[in-house]
Amino acid sequence: MSYLPTGFKTLVRREILRFVRRPRNTFAPPFITNILYFSVFGVILGERIREISGVPYIVFILPGLVVLGAVSNAFENASFSIFHGRWNEYIHETLTSPLSYGQMVWAYIVSSATRGVIVGVLIAVLGLAIINPLYAASVGVSRPFYLVAFMLVITLLFASLGVAGGLWAEDFDDLTMMNQFILRPLVFFGGVFYSLSDIPPLLRDVSLMNPMIYMVNGVRYGFIGRAEVNPNLSLLVLLVLTGLVAALDVYLFKRGYGLTE
Amino acid sequence: MTAAIEVSDLRKRYGDVQALDGASLTVPEGSFFGLLGPNGAGKTTFINILVGLVRKSGGEARVFGHDVETDYQEARDAIGLAPQEFNVDRFFPIKEVLEHKAGYHGIPADEARERADDVLRRVGIYEKRNTRFDWLSGGMKRRFVLARALITEPDLLILDEPTAGVDVQLRRDLWNLITELNDNGTTILLTTHYIEEAERLCDEVAILDSGSVVEVASPEDLMDRGVDKITISFRESPTSAPALTAGNGHIEDVELVDGRLVVTARQGGVVAPDIVRELDREGHEIVDLDISRTSLEEVFVEMTEGQSSNIEGATQ
Repeated sequence: MSYLPTGFKTLVRREILRFVRRPRNTFAPPFITNILYFSVFGVILGERIREISGVPYIVFILPGLVVLGAVSNAFENASFSIFHGRWNEYIHETLTSPLSYGQMVWAYIVSSATRGVIVGVLIAVLGLAIINPLYAASVGVSRPFYLVAFMLVITLLFASLGVAGGLWAEDFDDLTMMNQFILRPLVFFGGVFYSLSDIPPLLRDVSLMNPMIYMVNGVRYGFIGRAEVNPNLSLLVLLVLTGLVAALDVYLFKRGYGLTE
Repeated sequence: MTAAIEVSDLRKRYGDVQALDGASLTVPEGSFFGLLGPNGAGKTTFINILVGLVRKSGGEARVFGHDVETDYQEARDAIGLAPQEFNVDRFFPIKEVLEHKAGYHGIPADEARERADDVLRRVGIYEKRNTRFDWLSGGMKRRFVLARALITEPDLLILDEPTAGVDVQLRRDLWNLITELNDNGTTILLTTHYIEEAERLCDEVAILDSGSVVEVASPEDLMDRGVDKITISFRESPTSAPALTAGNGHIEDVELVDGRLVVTARQGGVVAPDIVRELDREGHEIVDLDISRTSLEEVFVEMTEGQSSNIEGATQ
């Protein structure tokens, strides 16, 4: 049916326009927050920590901050958009359309992942603009393929999780709770600010159960070319996980979970 | 000809409440069909099952032959819905909301823009095209949800209480617009609390009560089942009510009230000439005759009042 791609593109466009037209809500917060992160953790604390895994501390945390910004924005965008549409019932405009459930879900995922990628790029550019003059260095992208691949898969994964979260949430407090009590702890214990080799073995083993470790590790590999976990294996695991969560989203839409009852 | 809507043994249960209890109904293509029923009768649940906002618990529902669950894309593509509650995207100006809705139905962007302008003009709010929905007046909001239903040029237009809370002028504008659409072949399914609206517009109505279809007929047929009052004035009032043999069993009561004869009969318009002839034969000189036709509203109340105790607590 020829109308299907147009319908999908329209929903993606609508979802992207929703956040692009509100730059104060979308782009200003991560911009300000990351200036603070780079200043406090990178410049001030970095003076004391100096090097970690053979690179300046600020360079070490840059990939982690990119991941933090990218995944939290992808998650927040999808969960908010779905939940707000349910709350005000305008998601009915989508649900009563001839889009397939798969198209609806992937439109929300793709647009939310786009926001995650844009925010991630914004943080990376900001970080490199601070790092390079400060250290008179030329930190860039060591493994572009891996950086792009990891950025895509982690934002798609968290956008998929955000869709499920948006369907599950009963009120706005649930959205905040998911971000504060689930997402942030995973990120902060996900190797953003420390190296696995610097923590006790028991903590390291526990950390390896946190999927965020593999994401931060993969993006760090893309930037500085050093990885603590095999990046190919990480990429494969994350891809499979993304496929599973997206399939769950489609199933939930089909069942009408949070939508039709 | 494929029916626009074909529903059989449709069921929906919300917890302890049976909102639809085996409803069966066929809406012919091209008809102007009314769905009447008291609050909680299951009208909105019925509609929401067709458009995919409620999952049925049992039975079958088809729109132009497409099953609403297995062929949901085709079924939904054929429907334009103007719901009772306002469920409109608040993030965008109303013209863009229309363009998005058209896009979801596969209409290319250029055409969607043209159609959006066109439907906004048709419902009379074109000058508000760059305004967000929240800033429209109540009447304009009602016009907008109709525009949104029309943008996809649906074969089946579903209007759930389209004139609830609107002024007389808007109500007439809406009536004219949907009558014109129906004349051009669009099937209309209308739910309304204003019985006069159904009486005036619909070819056929279904009365839904406690989740079941209790009757399907034309408004005329339904009104024929009610009783009319024929009031006859004489030059000289009789001392007692004459015994009437006319009416072929349609007459239910005859009484003399303030010197006038009041005859209660089904199909009053049909039996009145026979009554006049009989009275004339018996020497009564008639000076005035008035037939007060039963309204669809009275028939509706009569058909549904017995069920009212079951309605409480039911979800609409």
